[in-house]
Amino acid sequence: MPNKENSSDDGPGDRTVLRARDIEKTYASRVPLVGRTVEVLDGADLTLRAGEIVGIVGANGSGKSTLLEILVGSLAPDAGRVERSGTVGWCPQEPRLYDRLTVAETIDLFGTAYGLSEAEAADARDRLADRLDFERFLDYQVRHLSGGNRQKVNLAVALLHDPDVLLLDEPYTGFDWETYLAFWDLTADLTERGTAVAIISHFVSERERFDRVYELRDGTLTERDSAAATGDATDGSVADPSAAAVDGDGSGGEGLGDADGTDRSPGTGEVV
Amino acid sequence: MATTGTGRATADRLTTGTAAHLRSFLREPVHLALLVAMPPLVVEGYGRAMSSFPEMPFVSTVPATLGRVNGAVFAAAFLAGLIGLFQVVAARRADDRLAICGFDRATLLASRLGAVLAVALAGAVVTFAVLRWQVTPEAPLVALGALVLAGATYGLLGILLGAVLPRELEGSLALVFVADLDTFLASGLVDVDTALVRALPLHYPHELFRAAVLEGSVATADLRGAVASLAVLLVAVLLVYTRVAGGDHA
Repeated sequence: MPNKENSSDDGPGDRTVLRARDIEKTYASRVPLVGRTVEVLDGADLTLRAGEIVGIVGANGSGKSTLLEILVGSLAPDAGRVERSGTVGWCPQEPRLYDRLTVAETIDLFGTAYGLSEAEAADARDRLADRLDFERFLDYQVRHLSGGNRQKVNLAVALLHDPDVLLLDEPYTGFDWETYLAFWDLTADLTERGTAVAIISHFVSERERFDRVYELRDGTLTERDSAAATGDATDGSVADPSAAAVDGDGSGGEGLGDADGTDRSPGTGEVV
Repeated sequence: MATTGTGRATADRLTTGTAAHLRSFLREPVHLALLVAMPPLVVEGYGRAMSSFPEMPFVSTVPATLGRVNGAVFAAAFLAGLIGLFQVVAARRADDRLAICGFDRATLLASRLGAVLAVALAGAVVTFAVLRWQVTPEAPLVALGALVLAGATYGLLGILLGAVLPRELEGSLALVFVADLDTFLASGLVDVDTALVRALPLHYPHELFRAAVLEGSVATADLRGAVASLAVLLVAVLLVYTRVAGGDHA
């Protein structure tokens, strides 16, 4: 559900928590005469206000993940400026976790990075494990988790410190239906408390959940009305998340991954 | 939830990070297999290969013993280098995320160095134990210290390689080439004494180790050289890792 109510004139929505201006990014081979140069972002502008939920859509390879990495500071833009206020939580599309640490150790390590005390990290761990349903996997090494459960931990790491800005790159890949719904409940709670959320999404049906939608096409980011965008699937969006986000076997991804540690999460890699 | 302002102390992060890296090392069967199998294979392999050599006019040591001495330095160094390389390459993207989350890169590097040094120490102890089976060092503690120095030096080299060449296969090939060349030129089997050879990372640790094992002496100049090599590599790692490792940063 859109969160316009959280963005009222006298609410937290007036407060801009992230602003990107004239972002440019081009990928080029470091070796002369090898590979091709790809212009991904060409003067992209984006603003996030407290308490709103914003969708970022675009075809595969349009540069959505690149944009998010620039917004969070993982990737340097060729030009442009990003201003952030408050703490940022980032859930990358591909879990960037230590495969041989357990889930509990992972949360402890990232909690340390965020500057949380042991008690705060433990509290966040228990709260998120309950909410996202991965309590029974706390002692499992990350490499032994199924793709869906790994993604839950990936998301939990982004939420540990209760950030002011949450940047999510297809955060529910591999989620079972129950967790998918729990994710949206959690998002609603966060925006009610004033957290600004930006989500990369491919699902047309989700667009009604967004206050605003940015569409990335040909390197340009255009703000579109979320309701108008709902009926337009020309960017390669999928109509029904239940058909694409849920684990292939419908089991909810609660089991272990392959014995050899192979990641079974559905391939959603975006080559830019 | 509020964060704790400046966060936990850097020492706390260092402890947590080092423990995490060590756990990752200990949970990788290939790493443990290398730690256990490489020293005996290399030390005895070098010794037995050299035992078929005739006595050489410019070398006073028994060839088999010389082979074991060279093998020990190679095993201790290469093992730590390989682990340093693998750790940096495998954890590159997770390290990047951890840094984005607030774990400063200098502390991250220090925690990784702590883990690699622990591996270098373990590798040196195993290697030393294997050497003791056939060779009795004249100055055992100095010899062990020299092996730790060789391991620490190559541990840093492995981290450096992993930062600039973040691929396990290519990095391993580069490391094995450098370590082979380095050990061969430092071995004394060829009478080459140039500034270039002295600048190689294993030259001084090898001299220190050889003198400790065969003569029971500590060459202060060699010790200074070994520590200087270590310091130069440490600075290079500090400069490169904090700027390059973990992605394309602003």
